[in-house]
Order: sequence, then structure tokens, then C-alpha cells
Amino acid sequence: MAWKNIGINLSGIVISCTLIAFLIFVVLPSFYLISYIFLRWDEVWYEVFANPITGDENWRQIIRILLFSFKLSLSAVAFDLVFGVPLAYVLARKKFPGKNLLEDLVTLPLVIPTSGFGFATLITWTSSSGLGRLFGSTRLLSMNTAIPLINVPFILFIVHVALTFPYLVRTVETKIQSIEETYEIASRTLGASSLTTFRKVLLPLSIPGIFSGSVLAFARSLGETGATIIVSGVSTTASIAIVRWASEFKLSTAAFMGSLLVLIAWIMILPVEIYVSKNRRSSWRHLHIPTNLSMKIIKFERFLSRKLSIVKDTVPLIIVVILIIIPVVVVISSVTLYWSADPYTGRVEGGVVYQLFGPSRYLDLILRATLTSVIVASISTYIATCISIPLSFIIERRRYGHILRTMLKVPLIIPTSSLGLSVLLLWGSSGLCLVNSGIWMIILTHIVFSVPVIVESIIAAYEGSGMQMYEETARTLGANAYSAIEAVSLPLIKGGIFTGFILSFTHSLGETGATLIVMGRDTTIPVLVVNMVEALAIPAALFTSTYLIVLSLVMLVIIRILTQR
Amino acid sequence: MLPLVELVNVTKRFGKITALNRINLSVEDGEYLCILGPTGAGKTTLLRLIAGLLEPDEGEIYIEGRKVNKVPPEERNAAYMFQNYALFPHMNVWRNVSFGPIIKEWNQKRINDVTSEVLEMVRLGERKNAYPHELSGGMQQRVALARGIASGARILLLDEPFGALDARLRVNLRTHLKSLVKDQRLTAIHVTHDQEEALMVSDRIAILREGRIEQIGSPQEIYTNPKSIFTISFVGGANFFEGVVSRVNEFGSEIELRGGLRIHVSDRSRNVGERVVVAVRREHISLGKSRRRGFNNLLGEIEDVMFVGGSMEYMIKLENDMTLFSRILLKGSSTPLRRGEIVIISFHPRECRIFEYPRRGLLKEIEAI
Repeated sequence: MAWKNIGINLSGIVISCTLIAFLIFVVLPSFYLISYIFLRWDEVWYEVFANPITGDENWRQIIRILLFSFKLSLSAVAFDLVFGVPLAYVLARKKFPGKNLLEDLVTLPLVIPTSGFGFATLITWTSSSGLGRLFGSTRLLSMNTAIPLINVPFILFIVHVALTFPYLVRTVETKIQSIEETYEIASRTLGASSLTTFRKVLLPLSIPGIFSGSVLAFARSLGETGATIIVSGVSTTASIAIVRWASEFKLSTAAFMGSLLVLIAWIMILPVEIYVSKNRRSSWRHLHIPTNLSMKIIKFERFLSRKLSIVKDTVPLIIVVILIIIPVVVVISSVTLYWSADPYTGRVEGGVVYQLFGPSRYLDLILRATLTSVIVASISTYIATCISIPLSFIIERRRYGHILRTMLKVPLIIPTSSLGLSVLLLWGSSGLCLVNSGIWMIILTHIVFSVPVIVESIIAAYEGSGMQMYEETARTLGANAYSAIEAVSLPLIKGGIFTGFILSFTHSLGETGATLIVMGRDTTIPVLVVNMVEALAIPAALFTSTYLIVLSLVMLVIIRILTQR
Repeated sequence: MLPLVELVNVTKRFGKITALNRINLSVEDGEYLCILGPTGAGKTTLLRLIAGLLEPDEGEIYIEGRKVNKVPPEERNAAYMFQNYALFPHMNVWRNVSFGPIIKEWNQKRINDVTSEVLEMVRLGERKNAYPHELSGGMQQRVALARGIASGARILLLDEPFGALDARLRVNLRTHLKSLVKDQRLTAIHVTHDQEEALMVSDRIAILREGRIEQIGSPQEIYTNPKSIFTISFVGGANFFEGVVSRVNEFGSEIELRGGLRIHVSDRSRNVGERVVVAVRREHISLGKSRRRGFNNLLGEIEDVMFVGGSMEYMIKLENDMTLFSRILLKGSSTPLRRGEIVIISFHPRECRIFEYPRRGLLKEIEAI
């Protein structure tokens, strides 16, 4: 009996500690950002709307930047949808040689530090060592070449597509995998062509997945900083504006923009969350289409199904190659090209070796930044894991779990620069004044987005495992609640914990937007790439990007090995 | 002697749904009890309450005379076996079976002895290093049983233990399961929707329906003396005649059916004018060319003939358009009747059971079984 009482007390303590840590580390910052606006409304009003010199110029700028960001993100998501859904279908349903490789390639932008990837894309399209070489001109595009009609810089667009593509594809793929194939088989044997089956059976069933994938992709694009800052040229997106204003100490303007983005994120995610949770099983009601029109559509689809199956299989593949493989190849080949000297001018100062070992000693910087990055990633991931494991159990077992889970979505979709700003404001000198900018604040920031990543991964393992049944069996065989968790539950979700750990570690290694704001004098590797590009130390940036890409490929291999079991 | 497991007025609700409604049940030590009922009757809920995986909203549960409403599952000595056995996928057979002994911190020698002894008992000593996914369904079931026994449980709670096995294996394993339980002097509470399985293995059967126990008794008792339309149709099945009591005398009652047909029933407990349902088991209906004395004799045409192994089943249409079924044991010399033949259907008044006409209608009472 004594033991039992301790057990009950212990569970209360564990739950409350976990919840407190979760609220303080993960939830508080983004709420603080919004409350900051109200607490210091005078300052915000003065800076944004009623500056004695510039008037409401800042406000108009905010509107302009937001509109541009929206246009960019919406077009990227639209592109993702058109090509991502078929790819997700192929990945979920077909078996073919090289499928794992293709999956890894699609996932690569999730893993790769975005500043490195942005730089790779930049030189691929706009420099003389990139794709231009193939076509005999020095460069294919200028940095500001815009796409007609939507007037978004081409290079910015493709970077955002590449970086958001995996969110959509992987989410939809998981959703489709969860739908039993029997529905499709039934539809096909009842005489529907593959396209008709897709439209009338699979699409309605996977709408929740498509919705949440699109929201994730949109949020990613809205908040993307690392690559955007490198390829944006003269255009400014919302997240870059926050970084810039924060570095100019226009904290009120930055906070205002940041909380606008947080609010937008909330407004977007809530309806989708509600919709998705209500429609676990089925989905939208069918639009009413007149029978003769519907007959025509079905006939057309039958015709297309025959003609287009190859197109459907190959076009997404080509896009993956163009968007992801080519930049990686180009950046690696450029390093060899620039290794000893600038290939065009022949100057040694323009070579990788000179920049690394020469007077500017970039190698030292890289090594120091690597050390900082690894320390940050290890500590933040470790702390996040400690919070995440009990948190996942609470989410799965308690009735209020789904509320916690929705709260966890917020750090995943709010722009990382707003997140950095909120951590800076909360913990830094203008808030609680507990932590100064620098490595510890980077760690605090990274914990915020690491917890959701690890929790999602643990929950994925948990939900597929039939956990409740195994635990109940263990209980009836004589195990108490704690030994059941120790002997049965933890081993069953071990894979999920490892995967989450590695994902979050990788995420932390590659994070740029938030880090830029809270880093103080400490520098992580992805930030170093940004600095190098700004200092026009191109060969050094090339080397560092390659280094980052290789690192993330290693991580990807580790993830693959872990998840295969 | 005190019953080993006793439920007193146990009620369990899930939201607005009452899964179990004032259940009273007692299980003797060493008894093999089947809980039989259709899907959704509350069978699994009952089992989970006994295991301690759920807490009752009202009423008390006693195990060995001790009230266990708030006692956690690990202190009840009742091993729960899921339909798909829930063998821990990350442990091999040996570690699965020794789970209980290890968790209860017995000494090493005892752990080893008990585990190997129990594994031998289910004839799986050879496969102790195999992982669950490497075993066949039948072997997995045996491992799950061994695991429950090794944990020192006195009560086995079996939730559809044969549900995941194919039909032939199912029949073979039934006898094995029962003898194992009896040899080890365990008490088994076995949940199933398969009436044949329940009749075969159990000492007693409890018929559960919509959260209430409809009837409880030995298999023979349940079969020969069903207390309700539901029980008779769920266990064994029967033909049902709707009618009105037209006369009661010292020999029995006379029931008037649709179309003016009359049948005699030995039961005299109903009043004249009462609306009733008469049930006759298929195997009690005989077919022939001549009327039998003292029997009910009706005229009918054979509509369909079905061969079901050792017997023939006939679907017969009566003069009043009612359909009934008759099952006739095949004997060496007899030639089966053919479709379209006109036959005389006979059944004895003693074989007729008479029930009050159900308030919700007859169909409602026997559907969804």
C-alpha cells in the first residue's frame, strides 16, 4: 500500500513538473510576444503608427511586406499542391526501386540547414559556376528575375517551393498510407479509371491530410528565414523584416510584426485543426455535379488515365531533381572548382584554401561555429527530450491531451524569427532579464521548436503500437503502472524517441531565423553561411554549405536506419 | 465456500451509453465460465472490470472475498488475454513468459523453473528464443496462455481467445484450452460470441445482452430450457410462430396462427387471448408422408434443400405462407426429399416453447445476432 501511495503522488509530481516546464519553455514565449504589444502599446503606437518623422511609414511597410510574403507563400503552396499530391500518392502506393532514395531526397530540405541550401540554389541559378555553364552563358537568371503575373522573384519562389515541398508531400503521403487500399481496389473493380478513383475516393478521404500539409507548408514558407535572407536580394519577406528590425533595435515594430504573424498562424491552424479532428474518418460532402457533366468528366478522366500515367510518375520526379539534386551537386562541384583559386580570374585569394587558411582564418570560425552548433543542438535536444517523453504520455492519456497537442502546433508554424524575438523579449534584458543574448538564449529558443518535433515523433510511434493493450496486459500480469512503462512502453516507442531526437538535433543544427535574433556574439554554422555571403566570401560560403549538406546527409542516413526497424 | 469472483449490482456507463446494467454474477473457484453475447452486449467491458482495467460506476466487485473496486490490475492476480494476445513484440517467447515472474521479483531460480515448466506445458520449450512475429497464430495463443499462467494468476480472463484463429484450429484448441485450465486448477472467464464454442468448453454460460445478464446456467440448461426468445434464437436457433392463445385445457394450450392454422402446446401458463410467440427447434421438426398421432401436423412444400454435413436442412413453406426450417439427421438408407415435394410437418407439443410476445416486436428481438 505504501508503494501505491508513493506511485500516485509521483504521477502527480511528474505530470505537474512536465506541464510547468512545457508552459514555461514552449508556450510562454509566444504568448508573451502578444502581451508585449499590449503592455507597451504606447511604444508600438509611437514607432509604428505615429512616428514624428516618418509618420505611419512603418505600418505601411508592414502591410506591403506581409502582402508580398503572402503572395510568395500562397504561390509556393499552390505549386506544391499540384505536384506534391501526385508524388505523395506515388510514394504511398507504388513500390519501385529507388523509392527510399526518392523519399530521402524529398525529405532532404527538411534536414538541410536552409541557409546552406539557399546558397546552393542561389549559385545554381545565378552564378557562372551554376547551371549557366551548361547553357553557355555566364548566368541563367539574375537575382531579381521575376515570374510573370505574380511578380515574385523566381529564385525566391523555387527556394520556397523546395523547402515547403517535403511538408506537403510527407503529410499527404502519411495520410494516404493510412487509407486502406481496398477502397481504391473496390472503385477500380467497379469500373472507375485511376483518375476517377483518385478524385472520387482517395481525394475526399485524404482532404484532412492535404489541408494540414498545406497549412504546414504555408507556415514554413511564411516563416522561412535562413535561405530567404540569402536569395531575397532587394525583396523583403515578413520574417526577414523581423530579423532586420530586431538588429536595428526597432523592437516594437519587430514585435508588432511578429505578433501579427503569430496571430495569423493561430487563425490558420485553428479552423484546420478543428476540421481535421472532426473529420478523422470521412470528409467533405460531394459537390453536386449534373449527371451528364459528370459523365463527361469521367470519360475524360478515363482517356487521361491512359495517356497520363507516365507524366504523373515522372513530372514530380523531374521537379525533385531540379529543385533539390542539382543545387546540391552544383555546390559540391563549385567547391572543387574554387578549391585552390578563382577559376575565372586565377587569383589565389578567390580560392577556398586561401579563405580557410589565409589571413581571414575562416577555418577557425567554422570550427568555433561547429562547436557552438553542436553544444546548442545537444543541450537543447536533451532538455527537449526530457520534457517530450512525459509530455507525449500525458497527451496520449489525459483528456486534455489534444489541447496540449494543438498548443504544440504553434511553435511548428509560427515564423522562427518571431519565435526568436519572443524568446529574446521574454528572457532577455527587456523582459525577465534572466538570460543574455548568446548561447544559452539560443538553447532556450531551440527548445521551443524541438519539443513539438520530438513529441510528434514519439506520438507517431505510440499511436501505431497498440500501446494501451500491451500496458494493460502487463498490468494484469502483475506490473504496476511504473514498471509497465519501463518494461513495455518505453522499449516500444524507443524508435520514435531516437527519431525525434535526431530530427530535433538536425533541426537545431540548421536553424537560422530565430538564432540570428538571439545569438548575440555566438555564431552557429548556418548563421556563419549568412555572414559569409554578406561579407561576399563566396568560396568560404561554398565550403561551409557543402560541409553543412554533408552533415545533414549523414543525419538523414541515421534517420533512415533508425526508422527502418 | 466463497465465490472467487463476485459482482454485485455492477453498472458501467460510457457517457450516455449504459454498457453494463446492474450485473450480478459469481464465479466459483476452478470454474470455467463463458460469457456469451452478440457484439456490443458489454462482454469485453465486463471482463475489463474484473481485470481492473475499468472501474465500475456503481456496485462492487469482489475477488477472494476482498472488495477490489479500487485495487489496481497488478494486485488482482487476474491475467487478461486479448484477442490478438498482445505478446510484447520486442521480447522473445522466453522473455514474454517470464515477464510476470520477473516483474514480481521472484528469485532467479524460481523464474527459470516456472518459465520452463509452463513453456513445456504448452509444448513450446523448443521455440523459447523465437519472437512473436515468427510464430503461428496458434503458437502465439499458447504463449499468451503460458504467460498468464506463469505470472501466477489464478484467474484467466480470455477475450475472444479463438477469434484470430482459423475455424479448424479453433476447434482443436478448445479442448486443449479447457484441459489446461482444469489441470492447473485455474478459473477462466471466457468471452465469446460463438455459441458452439461456449456450449463446448464451459461449465456455465452467462448470456449477456444489452448490458444485462439474460440467463445463466450450465450449457444443457441454457440449450434445453431457454428463458427468452433471445436466448433460444442466439443459442441453437429456432422456428418462431406468432399467434394468439385461443384455448387452454388440461392437456395444454391451443395457439391460433396467421391464416387460421392451429397448433397445440403442452405449456398451460398463458391466458386465452394473449399474444404469444411459439418456438420450435429445427431438429425437433420431422418431415413425412403421414400424420403422426399426438403431434402437431402441418402441410408444407419444400422450397430449398441444404446439405450441412451430417444432416439436411429443409426450408419449408406452410399453407399460410410462413417459412420454417427443419434439420433432419442423415441416416444411411434414407433418401433426401426434393424441392417442390409436399410433406407433412410434425412436431410434438412438448417441444414447443411459448413466450410472451415481445414489446418491441419479434424481429427486433432476434435480429442482429
